[in-house]
Amino acid sequence: MSDGKYFSTTKRGEIHEFKEELRSLDRPKKKDAVKKVIAAMTVGKDVSMLFPDVVNCMQTDDLELKKLVYLYLINYAKTQPDLAIMAVNTFVKDSQDPNPLIRALAVRTMGCIRVDKITEYLCDPLQRCLKDDDPYVRKTAAICVAKLYDINPELVEDRGFLDMLREMLSDANPMVVANALAALQEIQELAGSGGKDLLQMTSQTLNKLLAALNECTEWGQVFILDSLAAYDTRDPRDAEKIAERVLPRLQHVNSAVVLSAVKVILRCMDVVALGPGGGEETIKTWSKKMAPPLVTLLAAEPEVQYVALRNINLIVQRRPAILANEVKVFFCKYNDPLYVKMEKLEIMIRLASDKNIDQVLLELKEYAQEVDVDFVRKSVRAIGRCAVALEKATERCINVLLELIQTKVSYVVQEAIIVIKDIFRRYPNQYESIIAALCDNLDSLDEPEAKSSMVWIIGEYADRIDNADELLEAFLETFPEETAMVQLQLLTATVKLFLKKPTESAQKMISAVLSCATTETDNPDLRDRAYIYWRLLSTDPEAAKDVVLAEKPVIADDSSTLDPSLLEQLVSRYLATVAAVYHRPPETFVSRQRMAVTLGVAEEANHFTNAPYSSRQEEDGATPGTMVSDNNAAAAAGAAAAAAASSVGDLLDLSDASPVPVPAAAAAGISPAALSQLPVLLANPGGVSVQGRLVRQGGQVVYQLALRNDTLAPVDGLMIQTNRNSFGLSPASQVLVLSTPGGSAIPPGGLAPVRVPLLVDPAKVTPPPLSTALQVALRTNQVGVLYFNDTVPLSALTEEGGTMEAPDFLAAWKVRTHGIRGELPQAQLGSITRL
Amino acid sequence: MISQFYILSSRGDVIIRKDYLGDVPRTSSETFFRNAKFWKEGDGEAPPVFNVDGVTYLHIKEGGVQLVATTRTNLSPSFVLEFLRRICTIVKDYCGFLSEDAIRKNVVLIYELLDEVVDYGFPQSTATEALKQFVVNEPIVVPPAFYQAKPLFSLSKGPTGVFKSVLETSRTDGKRRDEIFVDVVERITCTFNASGFIASAQVDGAVQIKSYLAGNPPIKIKLNDDLLIGKRDTPYGLDRAAERGHMVVLDDCNFHEVANLENFDVDRTISLVPPDGEFALMNYRTTHGFKPPFRLHATVDADPNSEYKALLTLRLWCEIPAEKASSGLEVEVPTPRWVQRVHCDLDGAGGGAAQNWDFNEKTHLLRWRFKRCPGGSEFTLRARLTLEKPYVPSLRSEVGPVNLRFTIPMYSASRIMLKYLQILKKADKNYNPYRWVRYVTASNSYTFRT
Repeated sequence: MSDGKYFSTTKRGEIHEFKEELRSLDRPKKKDAVKKVIAAMTVGKDVSMLFPDVVNCMQTDDLELKKLVYLYLINYAKTQPDLAIMAVNTFVKDSQDPNPLIRALAVRTMGCIRVDKITEYLCDPLQRCLKDDDPYVRKTAAICVAKLYDINPELVEDRGFLDMLREMLSDANPMVVANALAALQEIQELAGSGGKDLLQMTSQTLNKLLAALNECTEWGQVFILDSLAAYDTRDPRDAEKIAERVLPRLQHVNSAVVLSAVKVILRCMDVVALGPGGGEETIKTWSKKMAPPLVTLLAAEPEVQYVALRNINLIVQRRPAILANEVKVFFCKYNDPLYVKMEKLEIMIRLASDKNIDQVLLELKEYAQEVDVDFVRKSVRAIGRCAVALEKATERCINVLLELIQTKVSYVVQEAIIVIKDIFRRYPNQYESIIAALCDNLDSLDEPEAKSSMVWIIGEYADRIDNADELLEAFLETFPEETAMVQLQLLTATVKLFLKKPTESAQKMISAVLSCATTETDNPDLRDRAYIYWRLLSTDPEAAKDVVLAEKPVIADDSSTLDPSLLEQLVSRYLATVAAVYHRPPETFVSRQRMAVTLGVAEEANHFTNAPYSSRQEEDGATPGTMVSDNNAAAAAGAAAAAAASSVGDLLDLSDASPVPVPAAAAAGISPAALSQLPVLLANPGGVSVQGRLVRQGGQVVYQLALRNDTLAPVDGLMIQTNRNSFGLSPASQVLVLSTPGGSAIPPGGLAPVRVPLLVDPAKVTPPPLSTALQVALRTNQVGVLYFNDTVPLSALTEEGGTMEAPDFLAAWKVRTHGIRGELPQAQLGSITRL
Repeated sequence: MISQFYILSSRGDVIIRKDYLGDVPRTSSETFFRNAKFWKEGDGEAPPVFNVDGVTYLHIKEGGVQLVATTRTNLSPSFVLEFLRRICTIVKDYCGFLSEDAIRKNVVLIYELLDEVVDYGFPQSTATEALKQFVVNEPIVVPPAFYQAKPLFSLSKGPTGVFKSVLETSRTDGKRRDEIFVDVVERITCTFNASGFIASAQVDGAVQIKSYLAGNPPIKIKLNDDLLIGKRDTPYGLDRAAERGHMVVLDDCNFHEVANLENFDVDRTISLVPPDGEFALMNYRTTHGFKPPFRLHATVDADPNSEYKALLTLRLWCEIPAEKASSGLEVEVPTPRWVQRVHCDLDGAGGGAAQNWDFNEKTHLLRWRFKRCPGGSEFTLRARLTLEKPYVPSLRSEVGPVNLRFTIPMYSASRIMLKYLQILKKADKNYNPYRWVRYVTASNSYTFRT
């Protein structure tokens, strides 16, 4: 042993002690030692070096000791695959033990050792155990098939284990049936959608499963119900048969059973609807039976409630009749966690109808006076959404909002003004009488969204508000300090005011705003919009009227409404799954793939570097590990488009970009093969050639260059400089540091990779027009100065920080478009850059 | 299926860890803890299901520890959450109590249990009873360190105050006694509108059984004869009967799988072989004909002597039968920010009930507490509020809503009753284990709006 052992662990004494005790001949002492080892393992100490000693304790007839050793084995077999093989003989022997507990234990543990070599030894015991007399062994063996499939799918197919699993669906023991089914489902999932239909559901299997349903454990019932839901039948009689057997499951205590049963019945409803007469009566009866159990779910723990509410949200969209009369049960309790309250609000809005709106409004008003700010805001929004959705109730909603405004609580007032703006957009020219009440609260507005909503209202109804010019003027005083959102609204509102009431003061205001927005701002959206208005007004005021005062389309409440095809998919296929909680299709977050089998000790390292994790993401290519992959792409595309459209300002933030970890391989440089694939920037046969590309690495713009020296002498004294360009890109250091062994010189015939980090230097920014051209000069001692041109790929400039959750993106998108849709499409593009 | 399972202490240390599929990095426990602790959206709690980097985290909290499962697949979240709850129950059944200390002392036993309960991420047999045959380790029962008067409000579902492992019965140890606890636990959700009428009301109840009977003899339980289930099957006239107290009407109920309901529709008896450990034999829900145990009336008036003062009067009636009493009652009155100070006068017409009050100037919460509140009594609290600005009538709507928290032992709001609990053990006439039947009604959300 080298001296390194002294540094490897500070607890050498402890490990040594364990070793001694493990070798003890006294059984209780031995047992105690193994327990201590396991305790150490649990708290994260590395006790893998004890592997041989622990395995030595394995051959014993003491069940307790054996179980302890197995426990240890499962944990460390992955990191010590070679040693684990040593234990194989004992495993095989144990799998023939007269005690079924030991037989099952052996098969279970063997399957957990994810080492390719072990599969050869595993097959025979597994085959035996699948046919074992004892159901406990059989059910353990069934799961083991799934384990084996994960390690070696071909072997499972070759040995006919899949057929054996299917046979087990007829087993007399329901536990075995459930596990066989679970294993088949798992294998199906691992095989991916490309795999064959493993279950091969026939009416015969269907009957078997229905028969097992009553006998199974609750977990097994969920497996069975899920496969029933996946059973694709077109026959209404089949559907009725299934539903008849599944309906009693709605009474189950376990919420998972209830939700899965609901899923099956909803599926059956769809099928029955295809039958004669549309199955209306049947659907009605079933709907009636589904309501009480769904409501009962709300009496469960908040966690279960949350899942139930997310599912109910989908159900009420798809089949509103089921819970139409139950809006009361979704009223919030004061001690509900926030996440439950928020979901209940959503469902209240969905169930609100002309019949129950008074009740709902009364509740919402109460909530709007509670303590929690987020909840209060959402409640006020909910009132607005009810108004937008239910025309008959709008007036009542507005009255409630006005009452709330009277409370003068700042965030309530602001939120109310935002939703009143939406109500105006839904019912134009109907409720302006309340504007006066809104105007009393101008002083309390300090949030951009509320401010811009109020400004929009003033601009939109400039001709009805007597002192509109005074009001706007008050806002304009702080114009330069406002956020972009408010500035844009102020600009538009002033134009509207001017077009509607071309008084002298309005004229003064418009010229002040236009000049401020065009000369004193660095926001391109604002500037562009101001220029457009200016042009419009100066060329043809009538046309300006047609454009700016054009009738706007009426909005509908579509915040948080799902795309119909997604809804259909979620309800009929993914109800009661994680997808139904996220309200996203599973492709966007399921990231499971068959794990590569570890053949070496690599796994050990994996635990610390997360290598399997990132490498899996790389294999996926475009499917990154985040659940918002699609949206990421969309946001990135949007950002790129926006950058191309106008926004120089945002790009200047580059230097602030927070560093983002990059795969180690990329940071360390590039391989020679990759070098030769870089685009050629300067071909100079007989001299120095340059290949290279601008990329983004670790939140930085980096020039990856490869310099080839085709001269007969070493080339040194390398320096680089860029010309002024639209993005102000400039090398962090002019002197090039070569990463070749030759140091600062490129040997004759050599190829030197260089990595040049670029910074943004405001002094080097050229004024518009925007151009992606980049001129670069390369100085050498031997061949003088070389010039070449390149283009800046926008992907190298866009920041990585654009990740956002889809609902946020949608919400932000909506907020932006609300005020300005139909007026200036370009402003929408620009607004994305800030997301 | 489940990729990993772990139990975290309140500080985020991993106490128990099992990795089943190996497709989620070990560091996920830290990722989880960080995300759950600093949940991005406001200061609310993290929802029980959330996704970080393609890994779905499902978690519950109980006994001061967090149980977490991770997965990369699209499984059923309620399945996992129910399963985590079940693990809690199993730990409680075997270790007598669920706490960080209890888990740490029984690590090996819990691993042994987990090995039987989950295989490769698939839940297996989770019945406490069935697990017994696979368990060789002995539990170390750790009674809770500070189990005092507090639990009245933190009343979790189920028979409280029994901290005993299922492994301790006369079968294993002659000195241990056999006993069975049957608890009827009800939680009231009730909202009164400003005029004092019930806006919505619901009772969620459960018949909880905790059994320590050696040899698992079958038992038989009978409920009220006048029990009706399902308003959907009930002719409307019966609703009135329930109102007048002639019937107990349940909106919905469900039963544990061991319940044999053959005779339930005939004579309301349930026979079962109670498995060891704690389980809910029956869960039910009713909105019909129950009498709210407390009523409260709040008024706010201007003080004729000072415009910077106001008078808040709370009158409270305890309407449960006189022979019962609420053990512990807390009335919580939120007041607006411009209330600076409060001084209260207490006056108990019900006589001598220990009561006190306090006002928190940071949260502006006025609390009125009773150690014990007997049925049929009436209390009044007169509070003088000192205001920051002159009194306005809108103060009335800014005080409240008033929340009540209480626990009433030996009382069931729905009037559901256990008529008898019979242990059907024919072979041994001397076998006469202890039978405990208890009722408890507690507030879930009991709110008076103002």
